[in-house]
Amino acid sequence: MAIEKSISPQSGDVILMVGTVKGMFIFQSDRARRDFRIAGPYFKGMEVFSTAYLPDQKSPRILIGNKSQHWGSTVSWSDDFGASWHEPAEGNVKFPAASGLTLNSIWALEPAPLVGANVVFAGLDPAALYRSDDRGETFRPNEALLNHAERPFWMPGFGGLCLHTVMPHPQDPKRMMIGISSAGTYRTDDGGESWTRRNTGIRMDEAGPPHAPHFRPQCAHKMRYDAKNPARIYLQNHPGYYRSDDGGDTWVDIRNNLPSEFGFPMVAHPSRADTAYVIPLTGDNFRVPIEGAARVWRTRDAGESWTPLGKGLPDHDAYFSVLRDAFIADTLDPMGLYFGTRGGTLFASSDEGESWRSIADWLPAVLCVKAAVIS
Amino acid sequence: MRFHLPSALRKWAGDREIVEMSFPLDLRMTIVEAIELLGREHPGIRQRVLDDQGSIRRHVNVFVDGENVRFAQGDATQVTHASEVRIYPAMSGGTPNPRPLPVREGEKEGRE
Repeated sequence: MAIEKSISPQSGDVILMVGTVKGMFIFQSDRARRDFRIAGPYFKGMEVFSTAYLPDQKSPRILIGNKSQHWGSTVSWSDDFGASWHEPAEGNVKFPAASGLTLNSIWALEPAPLVGANVVFAGLDPAALYRSDDRGETFRPNEALLNHAERPFWMPGFGGLCLHTVMPHPQDPKRMMIGISSAGTYRTDDGGESWTRRNTGIRMDEAGPPHAPHFRPQCAHKMRYDAKNPARIYLQNHPGYYRSDDGGDTWVDIRNNLPSEFGFPMVAHPSRADTAYVIPLTGDNFRVPIEGAARVWRTRDAGESWTPLGKGLPDHDAYFSVLRDAFIADTLDPMGLYFGTRGGTLFASSDEGESWRSIADWLPAVLCVKAAVIS
Repeated sequence: MRFHLPSALRKWAGDREIVEMSFPLDLRMTIVEAIELLGREHPGIRQRVLDDQGSIRRHVNVFVDGENVRFAQGDATQVTHASEVRIYPAMSGGTPNPRPLPVREGEKEGRE
């Protein structure tokens, strides 16, 4: 497959934005999703932790959170599907001097059209939430979270102290859930003026830090809203699978017949209720497919039972991780699913996970995958 | 004062390797203050060399008159109007634009 400089998608095409440890790639296919073209790499040598697609009919935009190990992190953007990129001269995501913090990486970029047509939120390491009102060109911090009373109790995981999940509520512009490793899930009901930890019902294996033993951190890995009921949220955390039916107030264990507690990503079906997908891995530090057999597990009853899907995936000798942002669904019918591995393979399914194939084998380690259908 | 820029930073200074700035003969300032001034003249350099707290980034090495500031007074290392400042990304090198691979037997010239 020849690598091109940029893509020229038509209405109805699917694009995949794939962030890796060595830059970003864009894949394009028509809605059949049989053949993908690849363009890139963009920002060669940089880690791309996050991407987003802003679907404006006049000028759709691709955002990326790119990090140079030498020169730091910025949000950059392309308004022509990768043909050219805007890299801000001065940092567009910066911590105020009084915070004592300095930006490490940009873990999440999430448009919030219900909050505002041009609004994009960024989740950062160290854990903070920033907001843009100009489609990702400039950002400012959410002060309530930056100065949260529990911040001194938050502890970094292997990936850092990252705010990795940003979930604007699909119906209420004042409400939002966020996930922080390792602190837990927090929710605002007042447009970001205040944030309350929402970990009730989640098993805590670890005590809090020595200076705050009462604080029980939870290493949330990924959360998703149910397609039909935003009060229902699915959560993959470090040691388990959970569901909330009350907007995050309380959680119930939905591991049931899953083979492991550990995994990183969680994907909810974009249009079918009670349907979600996970990729269980061997825990704790090995973090590879169980018995070397790669499987995606699906529930169609909100986690009461799970079914393994593996046709086309490796049945043995698969020793890769799939990171929390490297698994995504598109919005076509039938839905497409995509996941990238730390071994550099990008797997795709165009039949809702029933069958899989590799569409790229030798990418750098994949950090994130986002999908968009061009309108 | 002369600043020697690595290739990755030159696009923020009109593609120049060396940027010269004039200061009074009795100048006394820290290397961080000097980089702040350089960044004012050439937006894009400051944030790539200094972090959000105004410290030299962890993987950037800055030499003043041949000495790595990490082994001097760090961010507080003094510079003068005549200082030579060299900025390097840590452990960098190699060939960012390597030669094309030779065409293999049976393969068409002008590969994509």
